[in-house]
Amino acid sequence: MTALVAAELLKFRTTRTAIGVLLAALGLVAVAAAGTVGTAEDNALGTSQLTQDTVSSALFASLVAFIVGILSVTVEWRHGTVTRTFLVTPRRVRILLAKEIWIAIFSAALALLGLLLVLAIAVPWLELRGSSLVLDRDAASLAGRTVLATMLWGALGVGVGAVVQSQTPALVGAILWILLAEVLIGALLGLVDLEGVADYLPGRALSAFDGTIEDEGGLTRAVAGVVGLAWVVGLGALGWLRMSRQDVT
Amino acid sequence: MIEVESLTKRYGSTLAVDDLSFAVAPGTVTGFLGPNGAGKSTTLRALLGLVHPTSGRTTVLGLPYAELAGVAHRVGAVLETFDAHPGRSGRNHLRVLATAAGIATSRVDELLELVELTGAARRRAKGYSLGMRQRLGLAAALLGDPEVLVLDEPANGLDPQGIRWLRDLLRSLAAEGRTVLLSSHVLAEIAQTVDEVVIIHRGRLVRQATMAEVEAMAAGEARVRTPEPARLAEALACSGVLSHAIGDGALGVAAAPERVGEVASANGIVLHELTTARATLEEVFLSLTDPDAGEGSSE
Repeated sequence: MTALVAAELLKFRTTRTAIGVLLAALGLVAVAAAGTVGTAEDNALGTSQLTQDTVSSALFASLVAFIVGILSVTVEWRHGTVTRTFLVTPRRVRILLAKEIWIAIFSAALALLGLLLVLAIAVPWLELRGSSLVLDRDAASLAGRTVLATMLWGALGVGVGAVVQSQTPALVGAILWILLAEVLIGALLGLVDLEGVADYLPGRALSAFDGTIEDEGGLTRAVAGVVGLAWVVGLGALGWLRMSRQDVT
Repeated sequence: MIEVESLTKRYGSTLAVDDLSFAVAPGTVTGFLGPNGAGKSTTLRALLGLVHPTSGRTTVLGLPYAELAGVAHRVGAVLETFDAHPGRSGRNHLRVLATAAGIATSRVDELLELVELTGAARRRAKGYSLGMRQRLGLAAALLGDPEVLVLDEPANGLDPQGIRWLRDLLRSLAAEGRTVLLSSHVLAEIAQTVDEVVIIHRGRLVRQATMAEVEAMAAGEARVRTPEPARLAEALACSGVLSHAIGDGALGVAAAPERVGEVASANGIVLHELTTARATLEEVFLSLTDPDAGEGSSE
C-alpha cells in the first residue's frame, strides 16, 4: 500500500496541476486571512473572535482539497491512464484506498501549510497594529478541526470522483450540490418541518464540523464529524462498487 | 501459460466473444488474429482483468490476472489505447508505474535506453509521435521483466527498423521461455514473428495452428510456371490432373511436383518454376475469415 500511495504522490507531483493547485489554495487562504485582519475594527483587535475568524481562513484549503480529491480519480478516466493503473494494480479496491490515504495526507499537509500562511500574514500584521492573535485552546481546537475537515473534504472528493468518474460533471455537479442543492433541499425540508434532516447532508455536516456553519439547533461538532466521515465511507464504498464491476474498454 | 476457457462476453445485445477457448504455451510467440470486430481486444482485455467475462474464464500462469501476486513481474501488456497522462513526461510515466509496482527507477532508465526514448524521456507525452507512444507502451510492459507479454497491435506506428527491432525482441523473449501473445493486422509481419496463430472470427475460434501447419494447408498442390500455361493445363487435364491459373503464367496443380514434371517432360513443355505450393498466412486468414463464408468452423 505504501508503494501505491507513493505512486499517487508522484502522479500529483509530475503534472502541472500540482503547482496550480498549491497556488490556488495558498492564494485563497492568503486573501481570506489578509481580508480578515485588514478589515478588523480596532475594538476587535486582541479578541478571541478575531483569532477564530483569522484561523478559519485556512479552511479555504478544504475547498481545494475537495477538488484535488475529485481530480485524483477523474483524471484517470479523462486521460485513459486508468487502463495502466488497473493493469499494475488489478485489485481495484487497493487503488481507491491508496487514493484516499494519499488525499488525506495531502489535505492535512495543505491545511497545515494554510495555517502557517495565516500565521505568517496575521502575526506581523497585527503586531503592526499593536495587537496579537489569541492562541488559546479554542484557537488550537479550530486549527485541529481545520486539518481534520480538510482531510474529510479531500476524501469526500475521491468518493465523488470514483462514483461519477467523468471529470466535468463531477466537478460541476459537486460544487452545485454543495452551493445550491443542499440549500434548496434544506429549504424544501423546512416547508414540511424537517429542516434538521438537511444537517445530515455531506456539505452541511462537514461545514458544521469545521465551524463554517454555526447553527444552535444543528448537529454538534462531534456528530457532524461522524456524519461527514460516514459520507466519506459511503461514497467511497459506492465508488468501489462502481469501479470493481466496470469494464475498461 | 495463457488459457482462455469458454470465454463469452456480451455488451448488451452485442456478442463480442462467443465461447472462445484456446491456450498459449510458454516459450512461443503466438499471433492472435481476426478481422476488425472479431473480439480480439475484448479477449485480451478479459485476459488482463480489464473486462469481466459474461461467462467462462481466463488465466495467466494458472491464475486469473487479478489474483497474480507481483503482477508487473508476471505479465506485461501493451494495449491499443495510449495510457500515459499527456502532461507527464515519458520518464515520469514509467516512474509512476515503477513506484506502484515497487520497481527501482534504474530499471526505468534502462528501459528508456532499450526502447530508444532516452532523448525524449523528459518531454511531455502529448508531444510523442505514434511510434514513440508505442515504444513507451512497450517500456511500460517490460518494466517488471515479466514472464508473459500480451501485446495488442504493438507494431502500430513503428517504422521498419522499429518493427524489426520489435520482432527480434519478441523472438529473444520467447527464446528465454517467456510467453508472448500478440495481435496485429500486419499479417506479413506476424508471419515472420510468430510460431503459432490463433485466428478468431465473430468472437469464435476458427483455427489454432503452428506456422508449419498454416503453410501446409496448401500441401499436396504444386505451383508451376511455364511460357505455355494453356498447353500444360490441357496436358495435365488429359492425364487426369486438375489445375487452375494463378496469374503470371503460373498454374496451381492438384498433384505433386514430380507428377507435373513428368507430364511437362512427356509433352515437351518448358518449365520456368516448379515448387510445392505453400499457403501464406494471409491466404489462410482470408479463407477462414471470409465474410461470405458464414461462421468459421471451430476446431
